[in-house]
Amino acid sequence: MSTTNAGLAKKLGYKNIRVYLEGEPAWSEAGYPTYTSKGFIDTGNIVLIDLRASHKAVEGRIKRAVSVPYDDLEDKINDIPRNAPVILYSDDKEEATDAVDDLRSDGFKHVALVPGNYAGWVSAGGAIETGPIASTEIRWQRILGKGEVSVADFKKATDGGDPDVFVIDSRTEEEVAELGIFKNTVNIPLDEIPGRMNELPKDKKIYVHCSTGARADMAYQELKKNGFDVKFLLLNIDEAECDCEILRP
Amino acid sequence: MQIHPKKIILLGIIALFTFTGCASDKAQGPTAVKPVTEKAEKVFKGKIAGKSNKAKSISIVVGKGDKAKTVMLKFDDNTKGLEFAKKGSAAIIKYDIKDGEKFATIIKPKLAKLPAGVTEIKTEELRGLYENNADMTVIDARPASRYAQARLPGAISIPVPEMKMGKETVLPANKEQLLVFYCGGPT
Repeated sequence: MSTTNAGLAKKLGYKNIRVYLEGEPAWSEAGYPTYTSKGFIDTGNIVLIDLRASHKAVEGRIKRAVSVPYDDLEDKINDIPRNAPVILYSDDKEEATDAVDDLRSDGFKHVALVPGNYAGWVSAGGAIETGPIASTEIRWQRILGKGEVSVADFKKATDGGDPDVFVIDSRTEEEVAELGIFKNTVNIPLDEIPGRMNELPKDKKIYVHCSTGARADMAYQELKKNGFDVKFLLLNIDEAECDCEILRP
Repeated sequence: MQIHPKKIILLGIIALFTFTGCASDKAQGPTAVKPVTEKAEKVFKGKIAGKSNKAKSISIVVGKGDKAKTVMLKFDDNTKGLEFAKKGSAAIIKYDIKDGEKFATIIKPKLAKLPAGVTEIKTEELRGLYENNADMTVIDARPASRYAQARLPGAISIPVPEMKMGKETVLPANKEQLLVFYCGGPT
C-alpha cells in the first residue's frame, strides 16, 4: 500500500521519499496522538467525549458529544465501551493528549482527537449544540462484523427457541469436560471440523462458538468455504452478556 | 475459565477494524503468481486469518479477490516462527503433509519491499521531524475510511487507487519536498 504509492511517487520524479512501514498502529502504540475527520465525527459509530469543564459544554459542544470533564475521566473510564472508537476534544492541547494517553494506557485501542480541538471544529464549520445536557450516559452499540451472530440470536438457539439452527462448540473435548457445554449444542473441536463436515446439516444455519471467538472465527471461515450457512459468536462466553444456560458435567 | 476477559476486547477490536497492512498489497507482485511445481517446496503466502493455541491450528488467506480462500494448517512445538503467525500479518508458511493434514514447519513474516531509492523511516525519527516542523507531506495510503478514523497529525489521504489515477496533481508541486507514506503497518 504505502510502498505502492511511494513507488508511484518515485516514478513521478519525487526525490525525497520515505516510507513509514510500521504505520499508524506503531504511531499510536508509541503514545503519539492520532486525529479523526469531520465525517467520522458526524456519522461514525463512535463515543465522542467533551473533556472541557461542564459549563463550557453547556455553552456549546460538538453534536453528539457526551460531557466528561477531564478531572472526571478516571472515574468514568469504565463507563466507556472498550471496543468503541473514542474521539476526544478539549480546549487545552496538553489535556487532550494526556487524555489520549490515559485511555490508551487503560487498554483502549482506538482513541483519536478532533483536529484543532473545539476551536478547530467550530472554525471548520462543524455542527454544535448548546444548552443543558439531558443525559451523561455513554451509549454505544457495536456493529456486528462479517459473519458474526448477535448474542440474542445465539442465546435463542441455545435456549432451543430456533430449531433451524445447529450450534457447534469448537472448543476441545477437555475444555468441555471441565467447563460444561451450552444446551442444544454439539462439541466439534476446531481441528476436527474439516473431517466431520458430513455430520453437519446443509439445510440449517450453523452457529459456532468457542471461548472467545478466535477459534469460532476460523471454523466459520472453513465452513463458509465449504458452502455452509454459518455465523460465529465473537464473545468471551464468560462475560455476563452471554447469559446462556450451561449443562455442567 | 482460563481466558482473560481482556482477550475479548482485543478480538472485538480486530473484528471491528479490518486492518489494512502495508505488506498485503505485495501478494499481487510477480513473486506471488509464480507457478509452484509439484516438486517445489509446499508453501502458502498470505494473510494470517487466525491462530489457535488450543486447537494448534493456523488459518491463512491465500490468493486474491474471487480466488481468495482460507486454508487451515496444524502446528506443534517444532513449528518454527510461530510468533509471526499473528492475525492480520502477512506471512509465508512452509508445510508438510502428515496423515493427510497440512502441517506448518516454518513460518516467516512476509516483508514489504521498498521501491529503489526509497528508504524506511521509524517512529522516533518521524516524531523528530514533526517536533522540528520539518517541511514534509505525510500521506496516508490506506482506504479513506481508515484515514477518517485515525490519522497521523496533518496527514493527507491518498489511497492507492487515487494515487494511480490522480498522479502528481494530488502531491505537492515541489518534487524536492520530503514525502512520508504510511499505511496500516505490517500487522
